[in-house]
Amino acid sequence: MTNSERYQRACSVLHASESCLMEVKAMNSKAKRYMPRLVAVCAAVVLLLALASVAYATDLGGIQRRIQIWINGDQTDAVLDIQGGRNAEYAVSDEQGNILFGGGGVVINEFGRERPLTEDEIIEHLENIQKVEVEYREDGTVWVSYRVSKTESIYIVTDDITELFDENGVCYVQLDTDDGPLYLTVKYQAGFATSPHRFVDPDSFGTE
Amino acid sequence: MKLSVDETFYKYGDRIFRAAFTVCRNRDDADDVVQDTLIRYYSLNKDFESEAHLKAWLLRVAINRAKDLAASFWRKQTAAWEDYMEELAFETPEDSRLLDAVLRLPEKYRTVIHLFYYEDYSVSEIAKILRRAEGTVKSQLNRGRLLLKTMLQEEWNDDE
Repeated sequence: MTNSERYQRACSVLHASESCLMEVKAMNSKAKRYMPRLVAVCAAVVLLLALASVAYATDLGGIQRRIQIWINGDQTDAVLDIQGGRNAEYAVSDEQGNILFGGGGVVINEFGRERPLTEDEIIEHLENIQKVEVEYREDGTVWVSYRVSKTESIYIVTDDITELFDENGVCYVQLDTDDGPLYLTVKYQAGFATSPHRFVDPDSFGTE
Repeated sequence: MKLSVDETFYKYGDRIFRAAFTVCRNRDDADDVVQDTLIRYYSLNKDFESEAHLKAWLLRVAINRAKDLAASFWRKQTAAWEDYMEELAFETPEDSRLLDAVLRLPEKYRTVIHLFYYEDYSVSEIAKILRRAEGTVKSQLNRGRLLLKTMLQEEWNDDE
């Protein structure tokens, strides 16, 4: 069976609702103004996270925790500062106090209301992003490294992704980890995003 | 040529829905796209030279409308296509995995993949429908295939 035949069979379970036909007929006959049906909004959480350069102010109060992070393939001690506030800004510093990276984020609920990320959500996010590193080498190549396991047998997979960038400088790679696939979107020299669910829209993150 | 409401729905309704769902990944939005596309067809005083012309026009309108909906604020808060997938009666688990994999692709790749593998359009026809350069479509098709091969491995053939 060809890919076409299989894909056509897979799509054959998708059908338009007959109510569309009824509404179009009603609209045609009564010439009423078309109103789209209300979309049933399900409970969904969207994390908006910025991993761009962080403007981080100290001495504003907040939470500080010692954490371990992965830098250049090595697990390293670091300090996580969470400032809270509307965007739950955070910064990760090395033991000498040099800020390594940071960001911020909110959760948007099904009603469109925002709340700052909690400490646990930031740490979970850091665990996820710490699985992946994107490296721009001097020879112009781009490499991705990612952790395959969180257990004792941790090992790092490194792949050359230079050729995978499209004409807009965006590259999509599926990384196979022990926790299942991780979908990686990389914007050339402008950040990357991962999700265990789908490729993150490149317009929703990074710096220009 | 102009088809009746029933003719258009029964002939193209599912095709429009499938193309729209591939783009917006939401059943309600895809139904809205079907409705919107048919209404646009009837409100448009346009003669189509052939059914192929009509079909291409319907798909273009549907895909553009689905993109608008997918980019809307409320749509961004919903993520229910996985739930909808569970309700569908696929013939085999491989079919479910295949559609799931396509839906996980970036939007520009899955649209091209859908038009190529479901609608059997050539690269140049897809380029006309989507108003993209042929080279762009070809490259998006190749990248989409590559990702599907990675996701599905032996379940995705190397045929073109």
